[in-house]
Amino acid sequence: MSALASRSWSPYVAGIVIGLLQIPAFLLMGTALGTSSSYVTISASIAQVFDPSIAEIKYAANHLTGAKNWWQVALIGGIVVGAFLSSRLSGTGRWGASPVWARAMGAHTPAQRYLMAFTGGFIMVLGARIADGCTSGHGVSGIAQLAIGSFVAVTAMFGAGIVAANLIYRRV
Amino acid sequence: MSVLAAMLLGLAMGIVFGFALEKGRVCEAGVIVCQMQMSRHAMLKMFLSAVITGLLVLAFLVGFGFAKLSPKATLFAADIIGGAILGIGIVVAGACPGTVLAQIGTGYKDAIFTFIGGLFGALAFTYAEPTLLKPILNAGSYGKLTLDQLLGVPFPALALGFAAVLAGLLIWLEKLQPWQEEIGPAGDGLPAEEPRRDAVPAPTA
Repeated sequence: MSALASRSWSPYVAGIVIGLLQIPAFLLMGTALGTSSSYVTISASIAQVFDPSIAEIKYAANHLTGAKNWWQVALIGGIVVGAFLSSRLSGTGRWGASPVWARAMGAHTPAQRYLMAFTGGFIMVLGARIADGCTSGHGVSGIAQLAIGSFVAVTAMFGAGIVAANLIYRRV
Repeated sequence: MSVLAAMLLGLAMGIVFGFALEKGRVCEAGVIVCQMQMSRHAMLKMFLSAVITGLLVLAFLVGFGFAKLSPKATLFAADIIGGAILGIGIVVAGACPGTVLAQIGTGYKDAIFTFIGGLFGALAFTYAEPTLLKPILNAGSYGKLTLDQLLGVPFPALALGFAAVLAGLLIWLEKLQPWQEEIGPAGDGLPAEEPRRDAVPAPTA
């Protein structure tokens, strides 16, 4: 129980646990761990209520149904639950926004941070969909499969991220 | 597998995933921003540990014929442009598409806005894909290309060798700075607040 209630594990242990999730992913689902395509499944399912014609777009149709798509939707729902349980067991529950933002940007209102979070989220998933994968699909899973496209995407991701983090923010 | 069974499996795997993201502190925007400023490497340590484990798992599963790889297609233009946009988004959001959900679980309010922004980003892509993005997406397409095919080396051998190289990199990173220092005293990826230099010292009685 103490490991479950501890505030942190070494990043090595945490990483190994995530890497081991490839076993059920490959053996039971026939796919690798990933998260960003579920954003298409969720948003296209909601959009379908207002615009049924979205199902005529092939890309949307490919994401609306099927076990693999909904497996990943449940996976990202499970991440919320798992992080909630972990933080409550260890007393590391959070609220508001991270203190990193005051250090990186100086004084700002919560509304400014929320707008920035929304914008960042939009850019992040748009980029992930253009590249066909994110930190988990291209990063954790793609590199582990020695996929050339994933080496390229992860290099571009860290490269642009490092430039942006040093240009936009103060040194944290 | 039925959709319901797949979702139950996904939920169980997600709970483990979220637990590990929270315990590894990569749910913290501070850890992600410091990593992108290259000042602290807790995120890279966890990321590479997951990659190394994946390499070992797949070397075994593929080597003994239990599973087949399912790599993504190599699309040079899309990988470079999309990857760069993704990297900038991660820095602005302070999250990745997966870690934002762990942030929501721990209680960070801004993460909810990040997630909703992500849904709109996916929707924008879906509507733009057939007309605007197709030419970009298909430029420099080489199919499902992997390094072992390119070099003509068996996947398990190359995977084990690459895992060893990455493990060496981790040992070096840990020597640079131990992970406990990197996640900081509050576990939020930030160093302890330095005393302000302009502060007037408290009067002593």
